[in-house]
Amino acid sequence: MSTLETSIRNVFGQVWKQEKNTDAPELTPDTVLLETGLDSLGFAIFVTSLDEELGFDPFTLSDEAFYPQTFAEFVAFYERYQPKA
Amino acid sequence: MTSLAGQLGAASLVGADGRDYTRDDLAALGASDGLATDRPVALCLRDPVALIRALAALDGRTATMLLLSGALDADTVRVLVERTGCGALVTDRDDLLGHATALRFEDATAPGRAAPRAATTWLLTTSGTTGTPKIVPHTLKSLTRSVFRFTPKDAPNWGLLYDPTRFAGLQVTLQALVGGGRLLAVDTHEPIAAQIAALAAMGCTHLSATPTLWRRVLMVPDHKALSLRQITLGGEIADQAVIDALRAAYPAARVTHIYASTEAGVGFSVNDGRAGFPADYLALAPGGVKLKIVDDILWLRPPLGPSVASPEIAVDAEGYIRSGDLIEAAGDRLQFLGREGGLINVGGVKIYPETVEDTVKSVPGVALVQVSSKKNPITGTLVLAEVQLNPGADAATTKQAILDTCRARLVREAVPAIIRFVEGFEINAAGKLVRKGGAPT
Repeated sequence: MSTLETSIRNVFGQVWKQEKNTDAPELTPDTVLLETGLDSLGFAIFVTSLDEELGFDPFTLSDEAFYPQTFAEFVAFYERYQPKA
Repeated sequence: MTSLAGQLGAASLVGADGRDYTRDDLAALGASDGLATDRPVALCLRDPVALIRALAALDGRTATMLLLSGALDADTVRVLVERTGCGALVTDRDDLLGHATALRFEDATAPGRAAPRAATTWLLTTSGTTGTPKIVPHTLKSLTRSVFRFTPKDAPNWGLLYDPTRFAGLQVTLQALVGGGRLLAVDTHEPIAAQIAALAAMGCTHLSATPTLWRRVLMVPDHKALSLRQITLGGEIADQAVIDALRAAYPAARVTHIYASTEAGVGFSVNDGRAGFPADYLALAPGGVKLKIVDDILWLRPPLGPSVASPEIAVDAEGYIRSGDLIEAAGDRLQFLGREGGLINVGGVKIYPETVEDTVKSVPGVALVQVSSKKNPITGTLVLAEVQLNPGADAATTKQAILDTCRARLVREAVPAIIRFVEGFEINAAGKLVRKGGAPT
């Protein structure tokens, strides 16, 4: 698992805990993001928290309009737009 | 004079249970003898099918109808019912049936039609969620002004994802029923994937939603099962990303984003696949709606004028209505920046920053706070709170206390999504915090 994916999982867990006050469900590559139980507002907070944590937001950086459906697609989207070290 | 029942095209209404109400079914009901129609009648129904059947039964037969969202809390319903002098409350909610004037849909309506007596005033509420909603009067004529009449062979199947008591939902409802189509009222309490599957199975061709909801639809793995010919976005600023994604997902559909304010009635629509609207709309008056921009604020003059005068709506000497929406010119395009006064729109829910600030300020440890909007790719904007702590206050403890207090007192969208601690604020000569412009940062 990449460092980036670990960070994404950690932030997801924090946002879930903050929004739902329970432990976050397990994320597998095939997990459909909509089926995790996070609604639009929760998802918006997740993306913004990632921006604060990682310092970039691929939704804003990308020229293509893309809305990832699975967790694997979501991580790949972040990996593609991760600033080169 | 024609009532809604008299204007139904070749319409039908389909509920989540698949039951189909034809035009004749909808026109067969009127007000019951037990309903006092000389005073305003409030409608607060969870079931969208019952609400729409009640509108068809009562329009033209009661002087005034107050349309209340079935999701409103009981206290707000009581305040609004009293403020408007309603003599009856038609509801399917157990918590409201105890109200002295409450009666069920079945008792408020009865078969048999009397001729319409008078044009009914439709009272709508704005969707502001902090404070009691504003009431805005309309008539069936003002609400159906922009309805397009379809021929039967092109009759659309409109999906209803909105609350039909709100302006946007009522537009979809009336467009479908008066314009000659089917209205598919799915159960909006179901997960979005189930709603989309139900709409696809019912043959939905036309669908209207907020940009936030559309982004969610695009995240449904089977969203391409919908065979859409018309996609409409409204209620929030439509950005280029969501427009592009919808055009890619549904190449056969026309993508329209509409600008409408409850205050002004119908606004105008944009079909060219670009965010914002063409600058030549200022000269063209799209759909007969005249537009002007004064000090970066959009003003609109509907062809019929403001529907009914209201002290809560600013109208100038020429009949233009102030929208409160900030506009920026960029070449031949005018872009929406957000609301003046910092009003924040989170996924279609409008939030007054002052209300959030007052709540945050009440938390021990908070010296000063400023609430503003932060751009977000999912909900358009989010609420950002910048907080200056009292000396000695602990950041982590205070942050948790702010969240707990806001969650207890505010709607979810108004709870700050980001809390940042700052060293100080810019203070103006009057000793007030300098509020940033309306544009999301």
